[in-house]
Amino acid sequence: MFRLDILFISLGVITNVFCALNSVEEETGNGRYVIEGRVFPPEDLDPTNWQVDTRIHVNGGEYIGFIKDDGSFAVHNVPTGSYVVEIVHPDYFYEPIRVEINSKGKYRARKVNYVQTSQIIQVPYPLRMKAMSKIRYFQVREQWRLTDFLFNPMVIMMVLPLLLIMVLPKMMNDPETKEDLKQISNMAKMSEFPEMSEMFTSLFSGGAAKANVKAKQVKKRQ
Amino acid sequence: MGVLSRNFKPNFLGLLKFLNNMNWFIVFFSLINLSLCIYEDQIGKFDWRQTYVGRIKFAQFDTVSTAKKIIVATEENVLAALNLKTGQVVWRHVFESASAGNIQLLHVGDKITTVTGSNPYLVRGWDPATGVLMWEWSLILQNDERADYSEWWVQNNMLVHLLPAFGSHLEVTMYNLLTGGNRGATSKLPAIWSNDGCILTAPYYTCVSGDMGSQILLTLDVTSNAIQIISKPLSNYINLQQSIGGNLRPLDNSVVPGFIVDDKKVLLIRNNSFEVVGKELEDEIASATVVDGANGPVLMQTWTDDVKGFQLTAYSISTNSEVPEIHCSDSTLSIPEAEILAAMCTRHAREQHACRILVNGADDAVHLMQQGGRLLWSREEALANVVAAEFVDLPVSETDAAIESEFDQKEGSVWSAFSRRLHSQFTQLQNVIKNLQGQGAPDQSTNALVRDYFNLHKIIVLITDAGKIFGMDNLSGEILWRRYEPGLDTESVVVYTRRSARHPPYDAYLTIVGKHEETGNGYVISLNPITGNLVGEQRMKLDVRILQCSLLHQADSEKLHALVLLDEDETVQVFPISATSLVENLYLYVADKHTGKVQGYALKYNGVSVEAQRTWSVQLGGSGPAQIVATATRSRLERVRSPGRALADRSVLYKYSNPNLVLFVVEKPDPTHKEVVTAVALDAVSGALIGASSHRRARALPLAVHADNCFAYLYRSEKHRRLEIATMELYEGKERWLEPGVAFSSFASDRAPAVERQAYILPASPTAATFTITERSLTDRHVLLGLTTGAVIEMPWAYLEARRGLGGGDEALLPYTPELPLPAEATLNYNRTVERVRGVLTAPAGLESTSLVLVTGLDLFYTRVAPSKTFDLLKDDFDYFLITVVLAALIVATYSTKYFASRKMLKLAWK
Repeated sequence: MFRLDILFISLGVITNVFCALNSVEEETGNGRYVIEGRVFPPEDLDPTNWQVDTRIHVNGGEYIGFIKDDGSFAVHNVPTGSYVVEIVHPDYFYEPIRVEINSKGKYRARKVNYVQTSQIIQVPYPLRMKAMSKIRYFQVREQWRLTDFLFNPMVIMMVLPLLLIMVLPKMMNDPETKEDLKQISNMAKMSEFPEMSEMFTSLFSGGAAKANVKAKQVKKRQ
Repeated sequence: MGVLSRNFKPNFLGLLKFLNNMNWFIVFFSLINLSLCIYEDQIGKFDWRQTYVGRIKFAQFDTVSTAKKIIVATEENVLAALNLKTGQVVWRHVFESASAGNIQLLHVGDKITTVTGSNPYLVRGWDPATGVLMWEWSLILQNDERADYSEWWVQNNMLVHLLPAFGSHLEVTMYNLLTGGNRGATSKLPAIWSNDGCILTAPYYTCVSGDMGSQILLTLDVTSNAIQIISKPLSNYINLQQSIGGNLRPLDNSVVPGFIVDDKKVLLIRNNSFEVVGKELEDEIASATVVDGANGPVLMQTWTDDVKGFQLTAYSISTNSEVPEIHCSDSTLSIPEAEILAAMCTRHAREQHACRILVNGADDAVHLMQQGGRLLWSREEALANVVAAEFVDLPVSETDAAIESEFDQKEGSVWSAFSRRLHSQFTQLQNVIKNLQGQGAPDQSTNALVRDYFNLHKIIVLITDAGKIFGMDNLSGEILWRRYEPGLDTESVVVYTRRSARHPPYDAYLTIVGKHEETGNGYVISLNPITGNLVGEQRMKLDVRILQCSLLHQADSEKLHALVLLDEDETVQVFPISATSLVENLYLYVADKHTGKVQGYALKYNGVSVEAQRTWSVQLGGSGPAQIVATATRSRLERVRSPGRALADRSVLYKYSNPNLVLFVVEKPDPTHKEVVTAVALDAVSGALIGASSHRRARALPLAVHADNCFAYLYRSEKHRRLEIATMELYEGKERWLEPGVAFSSFASDRAPAVERQAYILPASPTAATFTITERSLTDRHVLLGLTTGAVIEMPWAYLEARRGLGGGDEALLPYTPELPLPAEATLNYNRTVERVRGVLTAPAGLESTSLVLVTGLDLFYTRVAPSKTFDLLKDDFDYFLITVVLAALIVATYSTKYFASRKMLKLAWK
């Protein structure tokens, strides 16, 4: 009798500990549990009847839950195990959450990670499901815009030579520009710019000489 | 310099590697862009969806809400509200498909109450107008064995549960409807007279008890505080000498509790006594109910007479007279085994009846009628349970057929050919003139069922669980013909198109091979899929069970492919018998689902008849019994055109294209790993093992697909608690085994192909899978997966390819990623959810780029997909207007400049 008492007390202590860890613990008997949570609809959603379009699928429809007017839901009669809770809505995407119920009836909710199954990122339980984004099913049709057309490289390649062909000869015919051009060409002849190739050779040879000096110094130190 | 190079070299290599990786990403993203996706303005252009609820179990009129509705609960575990005027679904809730979703009770008051499941039960309350859940509580009965006999009803805002213990007592428990309170307060009513023939007509529990010949009719109001048993000898109501006696049937949905005794007498329970209605049932199978009429209750009956067709009568109980306005006798209306689901009559000012009667048929169709028998709407709920479907080509139009036949006739002189040419062109001209005059218009409606240019217009033949066969237009979803076959058991039914419509003057020929409802023996139905009329062998009842069936490859002189049946005694039957001599090189296999044993047969023609010889036998999954969960064979429509695929180094990797491959997915218990899933690819002709792979601690899903040299199957990894899709590909190697053009033979080669294997994580749970099929199999192959979320997604094979490896090497291959992407753009049915997808069917169109897709399940969804985009078709947003304007402008500019140029030349000449 005495031993039994101890057992009861210890059991009570254990359950108390669990309650402290997780206050929302509910057992309906026969080892069946309830997964609870609340769905928050997206703000831009038309408020009429979103509860009917949204379904709670546990393990891909093995258990199905429905949403009350205020967004709360409960999936009843779930035995212990590990479950993926999905919120299915035709237009909005919700992140699925894995809920684990151990044999003692303790709940743990975490993010679903199919690749690294041992990685645990805990999320609060009872579940709070928020809509991530509106699902984009459709491609956006490209529209014809004038700017797109004008800045197309092919068009630019075509238009610029056309301009050169059409406009330049006209300019050449003008007597004033002819004189200007002559002056420019004379200027170019008069001023003696050093040739590019020469400039580069002088630059590089000088640089190379300096580098050589440095290399020699290094060698000497060695 | 050396230091520099040492510093730079690795980085340079890194850069190269980075660029290489970037390359992967570019390939990757370009592939994502390649994935099919429609534009928003294409909604409903190529697709349609039809929503169904399943065979209706309970129905009640919702008269409280402003918008009139019928609330229905179905055998498919669906609760829905139908619009009273149109029959369309207003809102719908789909429960679990297993027994946890079984609907036990539907009660419509100012709120809807449902009881679902089978111990534990769930009691839910719904708002009738919107369908939003109001309350929900769970109930577990302690006594599990007898829970199936439970009866539920709602009375005074209390949920009453009755659990009979036959021969001893009745347990009655009342619960608060909203909270489930008052648990445990069970009253036990002694009832030693109860048996399993008792019925409940809430709140009365009625039994026939006692010895043969002296039975007593007993009724007890189980909810009243005082136990009051009404008991009367049964002989007061029926003649016990003439009948077996004591068969009770409740009056469903009746306003006054009542029942039918021996399918004849109607008894009502009023004022604690039985009251015999002055009219007996008109027919044994008639379905009856009592509704509120203009002056007192009215007994309404409906049944289907073999000769006179649908019958509806009504009898006023208070005035003891027939109600003339509620009457119908219609031989054109075919409602097999009609029964009243719900009926409602409203009182009119002139004391006339305006009734709405919801009638259910054995073919799962539900009809709403007026009092005169006029149909307001019908719903073909059989389509919620499609078991097999087939796309059938339409015949070409008459003129096209004439042109085709012109080229068929090879004999004859040049002059006769010329005269035929002239003749056909003359008829074409006549048609054109007729069409211009508008005379052809009335013909159009009947001749509309002709093949279009791209062969996109087809007929879908759907075989449903109820035994109803439908012909449906694939472009509009309209039902063209329907045919109810009560004798057809559609479990593992097979459909063959034995002759397509492209062989005029012969009609198309479709054969359905199933079982007979009563005997389980073979039952073969042949019909013309265009009209729905029976042809050829018509309905053929075999006297043996069928093991396996197949079509002959060669057509006979009438272009008909013969049907080959292998029956239980391993004898072979060929239909038509005249085609027996054509049987040659035909091999069959029979797999036992429960033992995992596969037996191969060779069929040979010995001059008189066809014999089946056992050739090989395989026990799958090693010794001991194993369960075959899924099999996959190549589609009959598939043609393989490409012998291999080009690699990055410009060599060719040749595919192992064996048309006789079959994939078996086998599940077997294992002492160390719990369950082991083994996938075995066999050559069905020789029985040779071609490839295999196994997965430990896994459960197989009944999904497997095979096309060309590719296999894919699904299993649930218990270790990692996720779904994985495994793929296998078979290759001959860099050298070809056979010369090009040589037909493959399973016996010719004993070389084993190289098997590539890979597995991927699928972050969804599919219930159906199939490959897309195109006319010549030149376009990419995609896998279509129907998910439990109601989406049907398109997965390019490039993602599933078994050759995807970690290292690079082949630019055409994506690097391995464990988890498959499921972009929303890949959803074929966008936000038109298809509930409980059961099958995905694909068929080629006349366009190489396009594959036609039908998704079956609770709903039907049809669309078309183009796996490599529509490369053989102009885009549907092609701007004809712009191109016309540009062309016109160019022409105008050409001529105007010509004119100006000539003027300028003239001026120049004058200078």
